[in-house]
Amino acid sequence: MVNYHKMDKIPTICPYCGCGCGLYLHVEEGNIIGVSPIRHHPVNRGALCVKGWNSFEFIQHPERLKYPLIKENGVFKKSSWDEAIRLVAGRLTDIKKSYGPDSIGVMSSAKCTNEENYLIMKFARAAIGTNNIDHCARLCHSSTVGGLAVAFGSGAMTNSISEIADAKVLFVIGSNTTEQHPMIGMHMLDAVDKGATLIVADPRRTQISEFAHIHLRQKSGTDVVLLNSMMNVIINEGLVDIPFIKRRTENFDAFERVIREYPPDVAEKITGVSPHDIKKAARVYATEKRAMLFYSMGITQHITGVDNVRSCANLCMLTAHIGQPMTGLNPLRGQNNVQGACDMGALPDVYSGYQKVIEPSARKKFEQAWGRKLPSKPGLTLTEMFDAVLTERIKAMYIVGENPLISDPDSSHIREALEKLDFLVVQDIFMSDTAEFADVVLPAVTFAEKEGTFTNTERRVQKINRAIRPMYGSMPDWRIISEISKKMGYNMEYRATHEIMEEIALLTPSYRGILHHRLDGNFGLQWPCLDPDHPGTPFLHRKKFAKGLGTFIPADYIPPKESPDKKFPFLLTTGRIYFHYHTGTMCRRTSTLEREYPECCAEINPEDANTAGIKHNSMIKVSSRRGTITVRAYLTDRVSKGTIFIPFHFREASVNLLTNPALDPLAKIPEYKVCAVRIEPVL
Amino acid sequence: MKKDMILEKSNLSYWLRQLRKEMLLIGPMHGENGDIVLKTVENIHEIVLDCPALIPSPKEFLFPQKEEMFGFSTEGTKNYRNSKRRLIFGVRSCDVSAIGLLDRFYGGKFIDDYYTARRENTVFISVGCNKPDPTCFCNGLGTGPFLSSGFDIQFSDLGDRYLVEIGSEHGLSIVKKFSHLFSKPQKSDYDDQYEAILSSHAMFEKRINLENARQKILSGSVEDSFWAGVAERCFECGGCVYECPLCTCFNVIDRKYSAIEGVRLRNWDTCMFRGFTKMAVNVWPAEKKIMRTKRWYFHKLLYYPEQFGRFGCVGCGRCTITCPGRIDMATIAYRLKVGNNED
Ligand code: SF4
Ligand code: SF4
Ligand code: SF4
Repeated sequence: MVNYHKMDKIPTICPYCGCGCGLYLHVEEGNIIGVSPIRHHPVNRGALCVKGWNSFEFIQHPERLKYPLIKENGVFKKSSWDEAIRLVAGRLTDIKKSYGPDSIGVMSSAKCTNEENYLIMKFARAAIGTNNIDHCARLCHSSTVGGLAVAFGSGAMTNSISEIADAKVLFVIGSNTTEQHPMIGMHMLDAVDKGATLIVADPRRTQISEFAHIHLRQKSGTDVVLLNSMMNVIINEGLVDIPFIKRRTENFDAFERVIREYPPDVAEKITGVSPHDIKKAARVYATEKRAMLFYSMGITQHITGVDNVRSCANLCMLTAHIGQPMTGLNPLRGQNNVQGACDMGALPDVYSGYQKVIEPSARKKFEQAWGRKLPSKPGLTLTEMFDAVLTERIKAMYIVGENPLISDPDSSHIREALEKLDFLVVQDIFMSDTAEFADVVLPAVTFAEKEGTFTNTERRVQKINRAIRPMYGSMPDWRIISEISKKMGYNMEYRATHEIMEEIALLTPSYRGILHHRLDGNFGLQWPCLDPDHPGTPFLHRKKFAKGLGTFIPADYIPPKESPDKKFPFLLTTGRIYFHYHTGTMCRRTSTLEREYPECCAEINPEDANTAGIKHNSMIKVSSRRGTITVRAYLTDRVSKGTIFIPFHFREASVNLLTNPALDPLAKIPEYKVCAVRIEPVL
Repeated sequence: MKKDMILEKSNLSYWLRQLRKEMLLIGPMHGENGDIVLKTVENIHEIVLDCPALIPSPKEFLFPQKEEMFGFSTEGTKNYRNSKRRLIFGVRSCDVSAIGLLDRFYGGKFIDDYYTARRENTVFISVGCNKPDPTCFCNGLGTGPFLSSGFDIQFSDLGDRYLVEIGSEHGLSIVKKFSHLFSKPQKSDYDDQYEAILSSHAMFEKRINLENARQKILSGSVEDSFWAGVAERCFECGGCVYECPLCTCFNVIDRKYSAIEGVRLRNWDTCMFRGFTKMAVNVWPAEKKIMRTKRWYFHKLLYYPEQFGRFGCVGCGRCTITCPGRIDMATIAYRLKVGNNED
């Protein structure tokens, strides 16, 4: 039990990114007064990035939501929990009765614990009766989950972070690792110091690219061509691992036919990367044994996101760089618990552990466990839900800890949808732009006020511990959900989160052996963890792919949906910056982070700026076919000519007013990385 | 003042238990999985006596990462100076040396009320290091592994007993009442201590001479390309400053609770951030990372000696543990000596 009057240090996990660094919250008399790194943690080893170091500040911020709010005649009124829960349960029940369960959409959160995500998906499926549940992974790694499930049978990082430092080749494509996953970046620099070769493929000159032995600056949206062309070289030069392909993969011939179409000189015309560099990178990657491939949003956030991911998988299989320590394919997941939210089935087509809702046996298992008939048709994805609001198929939404108005593409469209909803519930820690549209706002707690588990990007399920009592009148998400569910006539009785974990373990093969008491004091367990004595799995696909044989799925080049043209001559790409996180709910209430990067800046190549008559630090207007924003210009050669980079954290210059909601046909991930814009100085 | 005593190890728990009745006892305790951290001692027998360097440094007890300075409202202001009595057991010699410099900084020409209030009510018991960590280099700086003065109380572990050296009134105040627990040291006790000091010195893995680094910089032969190579590896995490027992920077912010009420806080800050020197209308005097990394080293290696006659580093090795870019003091001092490329 926490003693609230002493100076204590509570071990827990950083609430920002998917690295999942271990840190202590320093607590004195119920006050959080600081943070320090856990020295022996396998990810951060006594270090933290600036966000981790400053993660204490927002927890007790006075702007925290203090009590439930109910909107009456357009203004929010303070309410009691009783009243708010009754209202939410009543309205959701009514809407379900009049329009059917599929008229309700639920958005879970990659910031919430596994236990909460599991409960939210249970709430959607069993209490409401719909598969319309999704979360922000749709916007970052749905292409990974989809792409790798078909290729390997499992859509997660195949290796562990602590293996990185001993790899011999690191191929980093579409990941600004030192800024977005700083502690993974640290292990990469260690590897380079120990003699590894670093290949970076990124249109921007990122910090990690400064350490690269080979930096390929492909044009944004041409990754398939670059990867295909590397594979073309590998096949042509006989660097293929034939026994591996014969023994462990299928569909090679069809794949090879496509790859033949992409010799380096053809690729050069599309990607802008010289054949010499393509060949060099291909040879280095193929010929070294301990080669790890890393990718992130630069691969996934395209209409060809799934194709990009598949191409990465193809490259690994072609060279047999998979299934061993320091050898594999590693998607770096963004949010602290986005891996867990996916694992828990906060997705429209699967239950926890990626068990498909269309699979009768899986459905039956969950029906038995939950005592309810469950819908068999996959639900709507997050991106589709908002469209469905406009066509009146969705009448009500329940949004937990997300801020789609800032994070989703084409904000004007989202705004229209939010306005149109009959009933909107938002559950969050601070008032957000999305919450302004809600009928009921419910105050939830931060990571410091609850127990549960987060799963980091290397599949490590780690326990977070409660450091202080819930602030003001807030409640943990899992409690709120169970109360509402109860009121809706579906009982959820859990005394604490470890009881939820027990249920998860029972129903989820990959989490079968993961129980709270096993996670205390040993930095968690990496799934698959198949029974209560299983030690966890540091690397995947040993001897055999999760689905048996690995499948080559060839991908042809499809250009981005919207390319620069006469009217909109620049290519806009969006992303994060080191000092901020997502829509800024937490970091922008942290004085150090906010001071470091207080306003939205558009990175522009100095040559372009010169032509357009734009000065460093001056205000400019950036417009796309969908909207216009005003931002400050930041001249730098980090971006190449013809490209503009704008981070998406800033509500006052919300770049998602500009982005294109074009979706990958399979994963439904929007194309955040490419759209066409024009720029002009503000006079 | 200086006064020496002997304390049988079997008497330690009793003594600490009595002291705990009057003051909050903080000591090295097991944290997560092999970690040892300084926190409130709940069970005295769980104190880890033979512990490695602790992160973060004990400066957090005098100058916490986040400190409320005063509250304000339409009614006036309310000061939050913290004067809780605390005994911090098990810090290391390098930390004591650092606190000595902090005292001069915060209690010198300008008196920092918040620091002083805490300092006056805190007693430190340091334990001389019989087992230095691989990251330690206090031996070259005279800031450890054992000190001859500057401590409140210094323990030397002599096997079955401690040689207890009392170096301040603060220290004396917690021994005086319990004189029946202590005995007079014999010559053989000092001999044993001397042996412990010598064997400790022999165990250091690092040999770092900061004076070499200083002279190298002063000679003007260190090119900016050297510092560019350092800056390139900086993650701008701030860890080096947060962890360093000597870094003193803070930022002051106001938090509004309501239209008529708020609180003024100070938070740890670091010169490694570009916003540290931010000025109005978007002027960032130290925008380039190289200016900031260089400044940190110049401050510690050049300006500290000018101001205080000592380096701004006590060789605790914490930045070596915490710097994700591996551009910590020990590494850079070494590289200054051999040049950037020969690592
Ligand atoms: S690297 Fe990620 S998990 Fe680690 S401290 Fe930074 S934000 Fe937190
Ligand atoms: S500079 Fe590094 S080694 Fe020196 S005192 Fe500070 S943290 Fe310790
Ligand atoms: S600890 Fe290292 S990486 Fe972090 S700010 Fe200091 S020098 Fe830079």
